[in-house]
Amino acid sequence: MIGQFLDFLGADLAHYWKIAAAVMPALLKGFVETLKLALVGILWGSFLGGTLGILRGQHIRVATPLIGAYLHLLRGTPFLVQLYVIYFVLPNTGYSWLQWDSQTAAFVSLGIYTSSYVTEIVSGAIRAIPRGQWEGAFALGFNRLKTLRLIILPQSIGLILPALGGVYVTLIKATSIVSVVGIVELMRQADISIVRFPGDILYIYFLAGALYFAFCFPVLMIVGRLEERSKNGRMVRA
Amino acid sequence: MDGPGGIDLSAAIAAPGQSPGAISIDIKSVKKRYPATANSAGIVALDDVSLTVKSGEVVVIIGPSGSGKSTLLRTINALEKIDSGTIVVNGDVVTNKATDLPAFRSKVGMVFQHFNLFLHKTAMENVILPQVAVKRRSRAEAEANAGKFLAKVGMLERANNYPSQLSGGQQQRVAIARALAMNPQVMLFDEATSALDPETVGGVLDLMRELAGEGMTMVVVTHEMHFAREVADRVVFMDAGAIVEMGTPEQVFRNAQSERTRKFLSLVG
Repeated sequence: MIGQFLDFLGADLAHYWKIAAAVMPALLKGFVETLKLALVGILWGSFLGGTLGILRGQHIRVATPLIGAYLHLLRGTPFLVQLYVIYFVLPNTGYSWLQWDSQTAAFVSLGIYTSSYVTEIVSGAIRAIPRGQWEGAFALGFNRLKTLRLIILPQSIGLILPALGGVYVTLIKATSIVSVVGIVELMRQADISIVRFPGDILYIYFLAGALYFAFCFPVLMIVGRLEERSKNGRMVRA
Repeated sequence: MDGPGGIDLSAAIAAPGQSPGAISIDIKSVKKRYPATANSAGIVALDDVSLTVKSGEVVVIIGPSGSGKSTLLRTINALEKIDSGTIVVNGDVVTNKATDLPAFRSKVGMVFQHFNLFLHKTAMENVILPQVAVKRRSRAEAEANAGKFLAKVGMLERANNYPSQLSGGQQQRVAIARALAMNPQVMLFDEATSALDPETVGGVLDLMRELAGEGMTMVVVTHEMHFAREVADRVVFMDAGAIVEMGTPEQVFRNAQSERTRKFLSLVG
């Protein structure tokens, strides 16, 4: 292991340049696929999770326990199992609308996976807002929707954003798992490239890792920036 | 009728069809009980309470903690559900399921013990937002109005401060301005001075006294006996979810009929 690492450092730079030039087009193609998977997962996972989280954030007789069950089911099982169920088991139910190609199955499972975390974040943030904020608004004639939109959500956002960054980064990394249902994303492209250049396993994984990092790091930065901005004016009750 | 702020509120107060002396709030046989839970027996919060408040009248509700006075106040704008009885406020049947509660509540101002100012908005924005979002006033009109009422409560210099930058008394005055800017027909005060530092209580009570003098219909839950004695047209003493005694301050404070009332008054001085 250490020997391999020293070889990696000491070897001819030109060799690495050559390998990079050879594998980068494939890795970039995989990177684009990863980007697509992550963005679709983030977008509809956030939409679904945001909606469920808002419902769960206020005590509604039927919705709250149902959403709770959904969360426990998803968070208590590995993503790989969820993906297998969606891709391999659902088609066996015989309903044609559940027969998905691998990409649709990947989109659906990544979104559902994301939604389970987003739901908990959003509902937790809503519940963290003091009850008096709701009552103050109700007493002035705000209805429930207006109270949510104008009073509660703007105050929750500073709690939601930082936690969301962590979930999105987890999702980006989780996209590597969908290679098992035949999606040729970044990790799969790296594996294919290693077959072509078996002597450079560490280097090729390093390149793939650098690409993941190049995706995740800005996400964390942007969320951090938004968090700072949302803190301006959002004060804690004296 | 001008207050120290120099703003005449009489136009805001006298809503159409409300001559002074007409019944403004009519509470009839209201009952409410909190059901028994695993660790507490059921509690009767309101036990067949009836009360009418005339337009322009100031009714002050006193009584020990847990007597149901805040609960009663909160039923008036339906923040608290009741089990039976009817509540009518200026023609709106609050207890009717078909009543548009948000529209009704926009006509009733409420001031809370903990102010409940919107924490992400400045004092100014706190007063503007409900006017725009609920009353559908133009931004310019709401702003002018907000300036007027913040000046009335003496908070115009602090208009751009967030609630966290204001003292309790200042926050409460902004909350009163926010409620008044909606041109309420009735104002409800739920222990408005109980959470304040002693030195800021006076300013808020002065403001409430001023409103009473301008003819606002007010229902006030308070522990401030001096205020009750001095400002109330009628004092209501509640205990264990029921109205025990009701009358002019003179009748209740000097000449209470019930032993419970006399005992309470002797304890609170």
